[in-house]
Parts: sequence; structure tokens; C-alpha cells
Amino acid sequence: MAEPLTPVEQTARSMAARVVVVVVMLVYILGLFLYRRFNPDFPQAYTDIQDHFKYGSIGSEAANGIPYWIWKVLPGMFPEKLPGKGYASLGFVYEPGQEIPIGFARRRVIIDRVGMNCAICHTGTVRDTPDSTPRIYLGMPANTFDLQAYLRFLIACVSDGRFTADNVVREIKARKSLDPLETFVYQQAVYQTREVLLTRARQTSFMSSRPDWGPGRVDTFNPYKTVQFNFPMDNDHTFGATDLPSIWNQSPRRGLQLHWDGNNDSMEERNKSAALGAGVTPVTIDLKSMKRIEDWLLDGLQAPKFPYAIDETLAAQGAPIYKAHCASCHDFGSEYVGKVTPIGEIGTDRGRLDSFTYEFADNMNLLYAGYPWRFTHFRKTNGYANMPLDGVWLRAPYLHNGSVPTLRDLLEPPAARPKTFYRGYDVYDRKKAGFVSNVSEEKGKKYFLYDTSLPGNGNAGHLYGTELSPAEKDALVEYMKKL
Amino acid sequence: MDQYSYFRSRRFKRLLIVSLVIVAAVGVFFWYKLFRRVTTVYADPAEHFKYGSIGVEVPAGIPYWIWVVLPRIFADKLPGPGGYVALGASWEPGKEVPIGFTKEIVGIPRVGVNCAGCHTTSVRSSPTEAPQFYLGGPTSRFQPQGYVRFLFACAHDDRFNSATIMKAILAIYDMPFVDRVLYRYLIIPVTKSQLLKTEQDDYYWMPERPDWGPGRTDMNPFQRQVMRLPDDHTIGSTDVMAIWNERAHEGLLHHSDGLNTALAESVRSAALAAGATKSSIDIPGLDRVQNFLMDLPAPKYAFAIDQALAAKGQPVYAKYCADCHAFGGKRTGTVIPLAEVGTDPNRNKHWPQSSADAFNKWADGYPWAFHNFRSSDGYLSVPLEGVWLRAPYLHNGSVPNMRELLLPPDQRSKVFYRGYDVYDQANVGFVSTGPQAELEGFRYDTSIRGNSNQGHSYGSDLSAADKQALIEYLKTL
Repeated sequence: MAEPLTPVEQTARSMAARVVVVVVMLVYILGLFLYRRFNPDFPQAYTDIQDHFKYGSIGSEAANGIPYWIWKVLPGMFPEKLPGKGYASLGFVYEPGQEIPIGFARRRVIIDRVGMNCAICHTGTVRDTPDSTPRIYLGMPANTFDLQAYLRFLIACVSDGRFTADNVVREIKARKSLDPLETFVYQQAVYQTREVLLTRARQTSFMSSRPDWGPGRVDTFNPYKTVQFNFPMDNDHTFGATDLPSIWNQSPRRGLQLHWDGNNDSMEERNKSAALGAGVTPVTIDLKSMKRIEDWLLDGLQAPKFPYAIDETLAAQGAPIYKAHCASCHDFGSEYVGKVTPIGEIGTDRGRLDSFTYEFADNMNLLYAGYPWRFTHFRKTNGYANMPLDGVWLRAPYLHNGSVPTLRDLLEPPAARPKTFYRGYDVYDRKKAGFVSNVSEEKGKKYFLYDTSLPGNGNAGHLYGTELSPAEKDALVEYMKKL
Repeated sequence: MDQYSYFRSRRFKRLLIVSLVIVAAVGVFFWYKLFRRVTTVYADPAEHFKYGSIGVEVPAGIPYWIWVVLPRIFADKLPGPGGYVALGASWEPGKEVPIGFTKEIVGIPRVGVNCAGCHTTSVRSSPTEAPQFYLGGPTSRFQPQGYVRFLFACAHDDRFNSATIMKAILAIYDMPFVDRVLYRYLIIPVTKSQLLKTEQDDYYWMPERPDWGPGRTDMNPFQRQVMRLPDDHTIGSTDVMAIWNERAHEGLLHHSDGLNTALAESVRSAALAAGATKSSIDIPGLDRVQNFLMDLPAPKYAFAIDQALAAKGQPVYAKYCADCHAFGGKRTGTVIPLAEVGTDPNRNKHWPQSSADAFNKWADGYPWAFHNFRSSDGYLSVPLEGVWLRAPYLHNGSVPNMRELLLPPDQRSKVFYRGYDVYDQANVGFVSTGPQAELEGFRYDTSIRGNSNQGHSYGSDLSAADKQALIEYLKTL
């Protein structure tokens, strides 16, 4: 038996116990404070699927996101690097009352960050007249958004000597109070953001020797070569800018050869590949969030109906013409839909096809390595895939590279198609089916001049229907508004 | 109480048991994570040929995750874009590793090589199309030397350190904690030092010799790495051979200089040169490969043949070529003396009788020991099945195509590019000139020692019409 404690010892013991309790509580409180403050990996949740599509995180923030408050102050700090006022001048789609545009998500990784999601490239707008309010269509190609200009703006900002921790934090403090801890964290975030974006700048420096993408287009696979695999681009002169696709009504697309050149027939891989493009990594991708979107795109989101009057008599005349000239390649369930038409036959610009080189296709096999969903479906093809035409009225400009502004123009022989036109303007051309493409500037906003003579921008090929009479062509276009 | 009483105490025994259990547990852990061998079995013999182990992974496997990120970190050490494809690897759609590479468990997944890396021909019909792969043919693109040199160059670089490599891995893979620790503190440093040691001990002879370029090798890996024979400074650059249709080759000699009569010995010795050791060589795996090769047919010509013209070429072939090159020809599969064939002598001098004698004793005591190696005084007259895929021609691959082989030796190209796999239908061979061939290919200079394009002047005095007909006929073989 131990001896009973003396009163002095008893007091010492109870003091020690009290100190331990206080220390434990302090640590707990500090931990709680830090956790609440910097709780990692906490995305903003949306119960409504449309909101989730527009603002939900797919996991692009951790590796490639930008701290929200830094992102917020950039247009004010560097207005001269934007084509107009604020991010909206890059063609972002803002909804009333929202702090961030559609296609951005917030997630807390130490601090709030913004990253891109699917909607950034797959949400567009339509105006009935120059004075109308834009109508937002989810799942349609982002016809106004210039992804390349956005990337270039960010790189220009962090390359500027004024992008210092002091300057940025001062700008943030002008809008929001920061305590000393937050100030420190934001200072570090400035350096980290600069590092990430300067790396991206190095990886995409090859873009300067190629034509601009312009709004609504992306050189899909060339940035992968450098960002994912660090390929040297010295001898790679390919340019594969393509029009952004619509992503509604995916169910009937299962099993088709997806992507413009039909290089992958797995919908899941196509989606995970696109997510990499939006900034996720195999480690940060939020598969649960992706699944919600993917499920909704299968059947939930349908191609929008043509919102203007259709001449039903004329459309009825166009129906048999469509059946005879278009349906075998473009109707769901038709013989050639979702299959690749060889380049020699389709005759459209080969830039995009050649940008997907076979050595690159091979390396795609290592994306998501270590996970059961490692890519196994990428193939080098020799042409372009025949796309189903649901909601085709919203998918202008046409052809894989978006080189023909309207459906009616597409029915003209290549020599008669517009050699240059403007993209990024969203007033609809009801007669020709497409966007009005001759407006260079409106209310101070300049639109993008698309030049079909540049590499990758050719508007040749796809001669189907070009031999029809003008009346037949009009009828066919009228019918296609109903697709 | 004597002085040993402690060692008899229960306390000591308890300590002993606990220590032993701990040591055993640690041992099992390290064995499991670093040495446990699990062989992947491919039911299909062709898949086994392409991706199955021949036993190089234990001594020479590269830890999978290091293998994955090396081309991304050290892209500057590769000849072009494409990762391992830039070194000529043939990569099938959807596969995790290229043909000729294996992913095998030795504790952790490791990447090794097998026969198919050098014995699969890649052919493109145009520069923008995906290649076709023909198993058993000599590789048109892969650079075995380029691959090992890339690994060595990475190991020499300061960037080959745990911090850099782990950062690249963790950017693409959420590695389990235990594996992270092992990679960071053990696997990466050990891989680096092993690569440097391999370069020093096994490949020290390489820098002084002319580059092999794609599709070529020599006998130094046998003589220096496997047998540890002292360097005799000979040069033996040799075109990789076709290994299909082996049943028809029974009784014929193997290797360019006919240095063995037994196919099994050729197969096993090649595996040793590829990195297998006496203890790691996978004899059953190699037997499966050999079995697959017995009846693997030579691929038919992939493009159109002018049958009428080919028919005119048949008698020309029968008259000028068949004695040495047709199955059943009286000298087919025999050694033609150097003095007679007149081709580059270096490879022949590269394998002296002393090497053959040493190799015939080297594996004594093993059931698969070698007995049939020999030296020769010339080069093998090979049967020509699938010859359209076996360009460039002659034992050292010094003549780019069949049309040039029928020219008098002094009119053949002195410099051309090999390793570009777009097919040249007009000349029967691969495109060997032009900007793209120069960009993707290896500059082959016939004036370098071992690279001579002299000799084998048979057929060079035929008429132009006869040559044209003969070339067309050769496509049908």
C-alpha cells in the first residue's frame, strides 16, 4: 500500500490536474477555432441540381483554384489587362445577386478558393435583340466566354510587378477586414497563386505561336500535352481549337464515339477528361459531385426548344430533305451517327485531328493511373465523328472548329461561306439559325474576328446539302430549328 | 545465482519472445512491401508475349510510380514528345504500359521489360495515322539503349530526389501513407543508387561505342553484364531479328552470325541480356514465349501488291536468292563466310570462341545451362519470311530498303535515318529521308565503325525491270 499523500502533495497534484485541464481546453478551443477558420476541403453545397451545375465544386480548387479574395480584387487592380469592365468583359455569365459567375465554385481549402466547373464552358446566353436581357441556357456551348483570354488575364496579373503580397492584401483589406492571422495566410496565398499561375504560363507558352481561340472555343488537347505530361512543344505545330459542345441529353449518346474526332467512346472517361481541363487532378476530383452532374446530364437536361416562331409549312418541306441528306449520319440510332467519317471524305480542317497525336493518345492511358477508372478508351482516329443534332440551333457556329457562323451558311459551298465573321455575340439570327456574326462592336464591347484563313480555322469540307436549291436549303434550315 | 541466471529468467525469455515477434513482424512487413513476388499470368500467349514477365523485375524492375513520373520530370532528357513513346515504345490503346514492358509485383508494382519491346514492329501507313504493331518482327522504333540511357541520365540528375519525385507522384496519385514513407525514404534513394551502380558495373562499356540507334543492339550485355568478361573493345551493332515462324527454323542456326543451334538457348540468353539473372530468370515464362513463337506466322504485306509483276519476280528470286534465303535452299540458315558475303566484319569479331566457351560453362549446374554456343566465320543466310517488315537490311541494318540493297554497295545511301516507322511502299522499307524522318529518326552514318553498308552485292547487276519485279515478289514472302 502506498503512503497517504501529505496535504502539500495533495495541493500540488490538484494544481497539476487543473493545469492539464486548462491546457487541454485551450488546445481544444484553438483547434476548434482553426478548424472553423481553415476547415479544409469544404465545398459550398447546393441542393438544387441546376444550382449545383452552375456553382457546385467538382474539385478544381485545391490544385488550380485561386483564393476567392485575390480573384475578386484582380479586375480592380489590373483593369488595363481586361478588354472591358470586370470579368464580365471576358464573356462570363453572371446571374443577378450572385457574387461569382456561372461556372465557378467556391471551396475552402485553408481559405476560400474559386475554381472552374463544367458550367464554365457549357452555359451560354441568347438575346432576342440587342436590347433584350440575355436568356441563360444550361448545357449549351459557352458562346460568349473566352477561356484563353481569362487564362491570359490571370497570367498577366501575376506577372505584373504590382502583384505583391502587400499590394494584394491592401486591396483585399479595402473590401474586407482581415485579422493578423488571415493577413498572414493571404500573403502566403499570393505567393502560392503566383507560383501556380507562372507554372501554367510556362506550360501554355506555346499558345503564343498559334491563332487565338476566341470565345466559345478551346484548343482541347494541346494544353494537356504540357500540363499533364510536360511534352516539349518545339516541334509540335498543331492547332486544334474546337467549338465547345453542348452537353445535354447524354443518355442516347452512350456508346457513341465522343469528342470531335471520336477519340473516346466512354462517357465516364470523356467527363473525367473534361474535368482535368477545368482544373481538377486525379487526387482532388470530387467524384460524388461529378456523379450528380453526370446523372442529371443523362436525361434530366434536355435540348431547349427553338423559342421563336417556326414556319411549319416550310419546315414540313424540309423534313424529307433532312431525311435524305442528313439523317443517316446525324439522327440518334442512324447508321453512321457517333461514328468517325474519315478525314479524306469529310474534308473539314484537319488541325484538331492532327493535334491528337498517337503518342499523346498512348500517354492518356496513364491519366488516373492507380485508380480503377484509369483511362483505357482513348484512340487515335482518322477523321471526325458524326454528332447527333439535338438542339442544334443553339450550337452555332458550326463544324468542329466553329468556322461557319450559321446553319444556312453551312449549306453553301465552302467558297461561298463567310471568310471572316465575328464570334462571341449572342443576339440570335432567326432566319439563318445561328448568332448574328457581323457585329464587331456594341456598346463598347468588341467581338472576336474569326479568320478562316488561319491554321486550324478552315471552313472547308462537309459538303452535304450544298448542292440543294436555295428554296430547299431554306426549308431544311427551318426544319432543323425543330431538332 | 550464477552469471547467466538472467538469461534463464522468465523476464529474459519474455523479452526474447517479444523481440523475436517484433523482428519477425518487421521482417514480414519489409518482405511483403519490398520483395513479395506475384507473377501476373496472361492466359493468352500473345498477351503473355507482350506484357508477361521473363524474370527481370526482381533485379532490374523500376518502381511503378517512379516509372510513371520520370518522363514528366525529365522530359528534357527524351528525344521528343511522347514519354516512353519518344524512345520508340509501341503502346497499344488502353494499356497501362507499352508492349515489351511488364507491370509486376515485387513487394510494390515494378516495371520491367521483356522480349516484345525489341521484337514488335511498328508500322504507320502515313505520318498522321496510328501505327499497326506486328508481334515477333524486329522493332522499327524502340531504342533499348535509349531507354537505359534515359534511366541513367535521370539517376544522375539532381532532380532525382525524394522531394521532387514524391511531389510529382502525389500530384496524380493519393498514395497510401505506408507506401509514401517507403517511397520517400527507401525506394527512391535505393532506385537512384541501383541505377547508378548498374550503369557503372554493367554498362561501363557503352559510352565508347557508336550509338546503336533504334532497332539495334549488340552482344556486350551478354559478355560484360551477364558473364563479366573483360572489355575487348569490339563493336557488334546488330539489327534486331525477326523471331516469328520458329518451327520452320528448326535445325537452322540462330543469331546474325549463326552462333547457336538451339532456339531455347537463344531465347534464354536474350532474357539474361535483358536483365534477368540466374536466380530471377523465369524459365516457364520464357518457354511459353518460345512456344508462342513456334507458329507465330510472319505477317502478310499490309499494302497492295502488283501480282502480275510479282509473278515476274518469282523466277528472278528463284535464280538469285533462293539458294541462300528460301526454306530448303542448300545454304539457307547456314553461315556464309565473311570473305564471301563481304559485309561489315565487326559483329563477327565481336563474339569470339572464348566468349562461346565461357557462356557454355557459365550456367553449369542449372537445368537450363548452355551448351551450344559457338563462334563463326561469317553471317547467317536468313530465311526471308516477312522480309518487308525487317528493314533496314543486312545484319547491321545499314541499308534502308530493298531497292538500295539491290544497288552496287558504293551507290547505297551513306547517311539515312532509321527509327521512323512510316512505310515506304515504293522501295520496301521504312521512309528514311525527309524532314519528318530526320526529326523522329536516328541519323545512321555508314562511315562509323560497325555501320558499313558494303557487301552482299547479289542482284546488283540485275536489269532495272528484273529488280522492280524482284522487289514486288519479295513483298509476297
